[in-house]
Amino acid sequence: MLSSDSRSVRWTTVAVSVLFGAALWEFGTRGMNPAVMSPFSATVLRLVEMIHSGELGAGAAQSLALFLTGLSAAVLTALPLGLLLARVRVLRVAFDDYIALVYAMPMVALIPFILSIFGLDFPAKALVVFLFCFFPVLYNTVEGARSIDSELIEVARSFRSSEWAVWRDVMIPGAFPYAMTGVRQAIGRGLVGMVAAEFFLSASGLGQLLMISARNFDTAGLFGVVLIITLLGAGLMAVGQALENRFTTWRGVGR
Amino acid sequence: MIREQEAGWGRALALLGRARSAEARRQGHWPRLAHATLPVKIAGGIFLLAISELAVRLFAPAYVSRPTGVFRVLPQTISNPAVLSGAATTLGAVLEGTVIALISGTVIGLAMGRLKLVDRFLRLYVDGLSAMPMVAIVPLFTIWLGFTSWARLATVIFAAFFPIAINMSSGARSVPQGYLEVARSCGASTWHVLSGVTLPASMPYLLSGIRLAVGRALVGAVVAEFYLSVDGLGYFILFQTRTFHHNEAFVAVLLLALVAVGVDALINWCIRRYMPWYRTGERTR
Repeated sequence: MLSSDSRSVRWTTVAVSVLFGAALWEFGTRGMNPAVMSPFSATVLRLVEMIHSGELGAGAAQSLALFLTGLSAAVLTALPLGLLLARVRVLRVAFDDYIALVYAMPMVALIPFILSIFGLDFPAKALVVFLFCFFPVLYNTVEGARSIDSELIEVARSFRSSEWAVWRDVMIPGAFPYAMTGVRQAIGRGLVGMVAAEFFLSASGLGQLLMISARNFDTAGLFGVVLIITLLGAGLMAVGQALENRFTTWRGVGR
Repeated sequence: MIREQEAGWGRALALLGRARSAEARRQGHWPRLAHATLPVKIAGGIFLLAISELAVRLFAPAYVSRPTGVFRVLPQTISNPAVLSGAATTLGAVLEGTVIALISGTVIGLAMGRLKLVDRFLRLYVDGLSAMPMVAIVPLFTIWLGFTSWARLATVIFAAFFPIAINMSSGARSVPQGYLEVARSCGASTWHVLSGVTLPASMPYLLSGIRLAVGRALVGAVVAEFYLSVDGLGYFILFQTRTFHHNEAFVAVLLLALVAVGVDALINWCIRRYMPWYRTGERTR
């Protein structure tokens, strides 16, 4: 429905919706205890203060570094592994149910194990993000590669394609759109992993800012950081969505 | 699918006739293998267990959980009252929160799907907050609700609400216009159109929304228990790993995984059983 709107209508909608929300936030919270609820203006002021002092920038940089390390490690390992599982049928049959099981499992439950085995430094935190991101990519790549029409591979083989050519021309293009669905899911889950790692392993980044401001009843600061994390999440999810849309056009009709 | 493949192979082989090479014969095995997947799967499972057992024995300290250790403590941990009451409180909170999120999410989602004005005002916030990593909200709930189980419930509701609202709104939007027009021209009231046409027609969307919501709710409950130190399976895991009882803690992880997979399977079964015309495993978020 919204997609049928023209661009100007969409932007007006967003602007009105933002203004309306900000006004509600500002005037609906007047007279409340500032330790419990902070009005919009106070939040923005506190946010500006945090940007000037540099703590917000440093925190966001730390968090992003953690997130990107875990995500890229996960994508770089899960993609090839998923394609391998898809190409070698025995492996896929042997392992796909277990992958689905771990994919559905709440990964946060493993954080205490990681804390006690690997400590609480950056590598352990990156491992948490990695675990959150790895299985969505693996699962979706295997699913995608399974959906490749086996006739395509057979045709390629019967035209004497080398194994490398089968990978280059059939497997990778066929599985890639699904893998991108996995990457989008991995971005969403990796953000959860990032914040959880910063809460429960050594406190750092945006997670630490959240905890400190909550502990100090600095509600304005807390709202400010939540706002920044929301914007970060929405931005990264939009990137993931764009990636997925960019490559799903490959899927063609009926997919 | 497999039968088709075999038929296709039969035809191809008949056409090729003498040209049937050793290569084709080798590939011809694969469709037949599909009938014997179970042994392969079991072998895969045994392989994974063996690998993890070996890796832990060789490289990890003695307290780290490993398959044989988990297996050994399984009976006593399962019957441990701390695990049972923990599972009951955590799953109770997940259930309670998901039901609250289901009711509110369905109402908001329906409104967003059918009323353009509501959609315009809420879309930005619903999309934005659903993209936010939900665990980031826990510190705020500690300010509002303290380090109590109420904060856990709030986290679960927050985690479960958005997938339901979003899926419900796309479901309500996808109802064919014709259905609505027929219902209206037969004199159905707004309420009847909503409850009799829109809601049933968007059921598959709602169900996959619920599936996502339960997964997120489990994550939210466990994170909240870690953060708040309130009783439950998550806290049991935290406590047991801190006292180096990794095997016992892993049993609780397996319980959580079992619940997650069980809910998935239940919802897939519901879709297959009651809405067989929809493909399962539909990819929404």
